[in-house]
Amino acid sequence: MRLSIFRYNPETDSRPHMQDYEVTPAPGDRMLLDVLERIRTLDDSLAYRRSCREGVCGSDAMNINGGNGLACITPIAGLKEPVVLRPLPSFPVIRDLVVDMTRFFEHYHAIRPYLIRHDPPPEREYLQSPQEREQLDGLYECILCACCTSECPSAWWNPERFLGPAALLQACRFIVDSRDQATDERLEQLDDAYKLFRCRVIMNCTHVCPKGLNPAAAIERIRQAMLRRGL
Amino acid sequence: MKAFYAGMRGWLLQRATALYLLGFVICFSLRGLLTPPASFEAWRAWMLSPGPRLATLLFFVAVALHAWIGLRDIALDYVKPFALRLAVLAAVAGGLAATLGWAALTLSS
Amino acid sequence: MSRDPASGMAAGSRPRRPVFLQPLQIELPVTATVSFGHRVSGLLLALALPFLAWVLALSLRDPAGYGRVLAGLHSLPARLVLVLLAWALAHHCAAGVRHLLFDAGIGTTLPVARGSAWAVHAFALAVAALVAGGLW
Repeated sequence: MRLSIFRYNPETDSRPHMQDYEVTPAPGDRMLLDVLERIRTLDDSLAYRRSCREGVCGSDAMNINGGNGLACITPIAGLKEPVVLRPLPSFPVIRDLVVDMTRFFEHYHAIRPYLIRHDPPPEREYLQSPQEREQLDGLYECILCACCTSECPSAWWNPERFLGPAALLQACRFIVDSRDQATDERLEQLDDAYKLFRCRVIMNCTHVCPKGLNPAAAIERIRQAMLRRGL
Repeated sequence: MKAFYAGMRGWLLQRATALYLLGFVICFSLRGLLTPPASFEAWRAWMLSPGPRLATLLFFVAVALHAWIGLRDIALDYVKPFALRLAVLAAVAGGLAATLGWAALTLSS
Repeated sequence: MSRDPASGMAAGSRPRRPVFLQPLQIELPVTATVSFGHRVSGLLLALALPFLAWVLALSLRDPAGYGRVLAGLHSLPARLVLVLLAWALAHHCAAGVRHLLFDAGIGTTLPVARGSAWAVHAFALAVAALVAGGLW
């Protein structure tokens, strides 16, 4: 199996380069991450993140043949060779396939990803009807791997001020939560020219989401909530 | 009634003008295709009758607002140096205002 | 901006780390090409606006002006421009309707959005072809 992998070592390289690899997958190797692990037995200088190796932690997001995805749940069968691996587009590269996620998580924190209550907390748990709980389906499953935000052209051109699809999907998750009492503040916070409204529904986010979520639709849901709130 | 802010206001204006522009384009295209004007006199009489005249004037107002929002978005995405962005936005605003003024002058003659 | 041909790297200045951002090496789904088309067509239509005001003024001024507009619109360059603008208008309107439906919560699932994106491309090209057929 032939691969072409983005290499950059900040200590020795003035600029990144692509390095070719030829590796024979073992019989048990099914996913791209298995092949990367095999490459690392030959070349232990190759850096990438990985942890759960089953599509839950979101660590091994990378650009695979032009599209973002998680190496651990990308089957090697059907991948066009040479498999071109690059770090997440538009994210600063720390080393090889490892990118700096600082700004991504700053945007995530900016939407205040936790329940905000003004009333005193109930004696026991917050209750929700099954219908209210259903509103969160397709939102709470996000693992913050950044595949979507990294492939969003609106985020490419305004990375500092546009929050990006991942943070906005999370914003929607708290806006529609019946237990949250800061809906107004949340909607007002997002109502400027940049944070949400750079989104042009290009839908690259939905196209690449490895969990099959739909950030574009979540952003439209926020806009509808803003409209209802104002009218 | 709660206030709309910068994001929602531009977005609403873009949508509202889009609806008008869509209706105008469909009506005028159909009219032009089904009964094209036979002569200068017929064209001028129709165009300057109250309905089409007002609709066309409104079209230029709506299209100027709609284009302003769209072109501003393009500038915010691609034109990063502040002075250059200011110059582009000023040129866009000036061009759209001049176009609107010209059309208004034509239609009020 | 300097780019390395091997990696397609933009030399990132701020932060000091390099950034991979080479749109042509990143996959572009049909929903993205429609969005880009919406932007390009909008720009073309905006550029055409002053000419629309000019054509309107000339055609309403006197019979000579009206004749000049009619003759001018049949010249070869004008016909090419008209076909391009017909594509732009059709694409912008169709993609705009698609946007309005999205805003109403209609068609925002990926398969439907991809289907409507292909439909926008097809519609715009069909209108351009029809106009070209009508002009030649």
